[in-house]
Amino acid sequence: MTTRKVRYKKLNTKTPLPVLREDQIDPTEYESLTTESQIATGVEQAEENEYHLQAALKSVGASADNEIPVPPPQNSVEANYDELYPTPYIEPRNYIKFSDTVEETIRGSLYDMTAEDEDFLKTYNTKRSAKEKLSEDEFEHFMEVLEDTASEQAPYAAVDNTVVSYDVMYHSMVRRIGSVKLAETHAKPVYEYWKSRRQDNANMSLNPAVKFETHQEHDDMDPYVCFRRREVRQTRKTRARDVQVADKLKKLRRELEDGRQLVVFSRQREFLKRELLKADRLVFEQRAKLKEIKIRLNIKTDDDDLVNTKPQKRPRTEAQQPPRATPHGQVRQGARPDRSMEQVDLPELSHKLAEKENELRHDVEVKVQNHRRWNQNFVDLTADPLPPVQQEKELSFRPAKTTFLMTPPASSASDSMEIDDIAPSTPSAPEKSLAPFVFKGATPEDSDQEEVPSYRRRVGRSGRLWIDRRTTRTKTESSILPHELSSLQSDRWKYDQDDDDDGGPSTYKIDTNSLLQMKFRSTIPPPPALQNRRQGTDPAQLQGYPNRPALPQVQIPSVSSAAPSAPSVPPQAQPVQASSS
Amino acid sequence: MSPGILNGEPAVGPDGPRQKSMATADTLRVGCIALVEKDGQARRAEILSIKDTKSGRQFYCNFDNFNKRLDEWVPSRRIKFDHDVEWPSPDKDKPKDGKGKNSTAPKKKVTGNKAQKRPGKREQSVTSEAVTPRPWPELSESQTQSRPSTPRDLELKTGQTPAAIGDEMDLDDDNNTPEVKKEYEPFSREREIEKLRTGGSMTQNPTELARIRNISKVQFGPWDLFPWYFSPYPESFTQEDVIFICEFCLSYYGEKKPFCRHRQKCSLQHPPGNEIYRDDYVSFFEIDGRRQRTWCRNLCLLSKMFLDHKTLYYDVDPFLFYVMTQKTEKGHHLVGYFSKEKESADGYNVACILTLPQYQRKGFGRLLIQFSYELSKIEGKLGSPEKPLSDLGLLSYRQYWSEMILDLLLEYNERDEKSSIEAISTALAMTTQDVEHTLQALKMQAYHKGEHKLVIPESMIKQRGMAKLKQKRYIAPERIQWKAPVFTASTRTWGW
Repeated sequence: MTTRKVRYKKLNTKTPLPVLREDQIDPTEYESLTTESQIATGVEQAEENEYHLQAALKSVGASADNEIPVPPPQNSVEANYDELYPTPYIEPRNYIKFSDTVEETIRGSLYDMTAEDEDFLKTYNTKRSAKEKLSEDEFEHFMEVLEDTASEQAPYAAVDNTVVSYDVMYHSMVRRIGSVKLAETHAKPVYEYWKSRRQDNANMSLNPAVKFETHQEHDDMDPYVCFRRREVRQTRKTRARDVQVADKLKKLRRELEDGRQLVVFSRQREFLKRELLKADRLVFEQRAKLKEIKIRLNIKTDDDDLVNTKPQKRPRTEAQQPPRATPHGQVRQGARPDRSMEQVDLPELSHKLAEKENELRHDVEVKVQNHRRWNQNFVDLTADPLPPVQQEKELSFRPAKTTFLMTPPASSASDSMEIDDIAPSTPSAPEKSLAPFVFKGATPEDSDQEEVPSYRRRVGRSGRLWIDRRTTRTKTESSILPHELSSLQSDRWKYDQDDDDDGGPSTYKIDTNSLLQMKFRSTIPPPPALQNRRQGTDPAQLQGYPNRPALPQVQIPSVSSAAPSAPSVPPQAQPVQASSS
Repeated sequence: MSPGILNGEPAVGPDGPRQKSMATADTLRVGCIALVEKDGQARRAEILSIKDTKSGRQFYCNFDNFNKRLDEWVPSRRIKFDHDVEWPSPDKDKPKDGKGKNSTAPKKKVTGNKAQKRPGKREQSVTSEAVTPRPWPELSESQTQSRPSTPRDLELKTGQTPAAIGDEMDLDDDNNTPEVKKEYEPFSREREIEKLRTGGSMTQNPTELARIRNISKVQFGPWDLFPWYFSPYPESFTQEDVIFICEFCLSYYGEKKPFCRHRQKCSLQHPPGNEIYRDDYVSFFEIDGRRQRTWCRNLCLLSKMFLDHKTLYYDVDPFLFYVMTQKTEKGHHLVGYFSKEKESADGYNVACILTLPQYQRKGFGRLLIQFSYELSKIEGKLGSPEKPLSDLGLLSYRQYWSEMILDLLLEYNERDEKSSIEAISTALAMTTQDVEHTLQALKMQAYHKGEHKLVIPESMIKQRGMAKLKQKRYIAPERIQWKAPVFTASTRTWGW
């Protein structure tokens, strides 16, 4: 073996290679790669060394032509070719298209008679008159039917040696051989002959056939068994990649299916819409007719007849009907009972709104009553009672009744459900009870109640009449100085500013020694670090100022947390509260 | 090289020393290796079968390093009884498998291995191992070659058969493994067969019977053909001196009378398929094995007589047959054909390929090969013939490949352009491996000044010029009327 002088680069199939002729290169300069390379031939390993092949391979490129010897064919002497293949062939102009099978191209029966058959037929025919003679074609037809029927009726004849009975054979012969007479005449002798031949042939098909698989055990070893049925194709082992791809395809398929469903559904929806439109139109037309009739009959109504009310409101409007419809309905009902039904369909907006409002009000009222009942015999004596403490004033004390002018409705009168707004604007009875339900907690305003001057009349000894008086003086007891309170109320919005106002830290004037401030400072939440540790009880959060941890701003809560409605309510509401208690 | 050298050298006996002694015509057994006269020379030959005829005892001999198609029945007078006869190793000569039990076993294993790699897929064309002519010498040869310490091997490599050195290389490297294993487990053959049976993919007939040609003469059209190999025609045909095959429908008859009757009824005058190519010389027909089961089975039986590396184990359904015919006033005569898997997992564009013997050495083989590549070009695929190739197949393909590549390279050379293996492969619809192997075989690859180059030897240019004077025939691609057939999932289910 020669050793390489140069280490070759591996040859890539994509590398462009210069193509040179041998004379274009200095023969001493290049090394042929092939001197010691082993060439894969693809020939069976055991045969590669065969003498003739090696000789032939060596001669490639050489002038000598070494051929591999094979047994030579010869022109057949015994067969008369022209006799065997007499039909001349006419070539069609176009390329041949052909799909008939071999069996279909055979003109005549598929059974080919043997020399033995020929002998039988000859002797058989000698006994017969010219008319009754059986021709070769007819004989083959008989044999074919017999063979076919046998393979049909007894496919395992060769194994279990079943012989199909004459009756069965006779029937199929009569059926398949056109002429009954012919079948009747020859069936029996041909059947007997066929039977004997089959028995001689181990009851196998008379036409020699290749062996197909019959029994697995012997078949594998039998070289004559061929054309086996194929095993079911093995599915390729699924690799991870295949699975991935399959999943992707599945997903894609699913998504496409979803899209299809969407389209189908939207199509359905459009159909339904069309139906709806049709129905609406029909309704409208009916109404138009109704209108016409009304006009003709001189019944005056407004255009409501033509308005399409929303169907889901119907049950409600019907329930409402009696109170609402009574004014008009009674008049009309006499005239036209069916029109009252129309009326049900056409409620007025104002009615609806009123109804809604009533409901709401009723609801609130009930809740208020409930709450009150719930709190009835309950006195909250804790330090900072949540519900307002029912003053345990003697019943006989009566608050002084002062008449105030009613507060005008809030300028931005809206349908907002804020109790605070509603309360002043609607002086009806239920509203009065609303005020106490503003949670006030233990706030300075609680003391407002005490400020109300109240009086008591009692009969003293010997019939003396006493008038006890409680004045606003009680306020002092709550230790809030009048001026402080007023300042409290007046500067309530003092520190308020827009959240996004990012001018430097604003400073506020605070009387640090005031009682209020001191009281508040005690409620100042701990520093944020601590605060975070107990988020659940974050005081800032509790007080509704999560965004303002800075001290000066936090000071507000002590006031405002008392009552959001504080600014407007206290002065005017006082008499109301008093009277209710 | 002289035949004498080849005769003895590469085919040294089996590994173990075989018992040698004199023998007579009566004591000679199946499996013995004796010196037999062949074409005037004495050659080692394995006795595969023995039969008694009126003229005396005859022996079926497989000659050492001759293809099996040259096997023949010889009378005892041609056997040199004055030389020692090698007796079959007793441990391998198990009576249970009948005759001829010897170290063919490992070879069968090889086949089985191949078959297992593609289970259930192939119907044909795996080499029939049992049928391979000379199992023992080659086998041991290749084994010993991988152990260079043996002096004999060294001698071999430096000897006169350099090409043989490369021969141990096989496309399937796995093949070597079981062989080596076999050395240590002499009884693994049965185990191997059992394995194949459960694997359900055996494509070979393991019997020794298939190593022996069973049909002596075939009357086919105006020709008498002498089969080369075993073919599983009905067993009764083995007794016939001559069998008859209809030239058009390829039906087979053991007797003359039914054959003549058949000829009166047979109306076929061309292969039963669609013509997809026609020129004034040949036509091609495409035939679907599923549709034309009878015809294609007949074709396979016929071609098996001339193809060793073909198995009829499975049915013809998964194959398409491209049949080349030549037209006379009698009809389209079968010249040759190639079969092609409808779906080839390995990218093969040819499964089996055959030119009938009466048309051989006339350039039909290269027409078949060219046609197979033209189809691949239409399909837009690279193709390669299924392996293993026969000796004749290898030569035909080598010739076709080298001609095509040479022509292509000369064009490149004239235009002073560079080429690459891939460019050649694409232009010719050949696989890059085939291109590379051909370049190596032609010794055209060179490594020069740090780069790979393709160098066209002067002798080849001359040879090519001379060959061109012969006016060879080619397939005209524009005459092909063909679209790659598409098979639905149901038609691809080969099981019935």
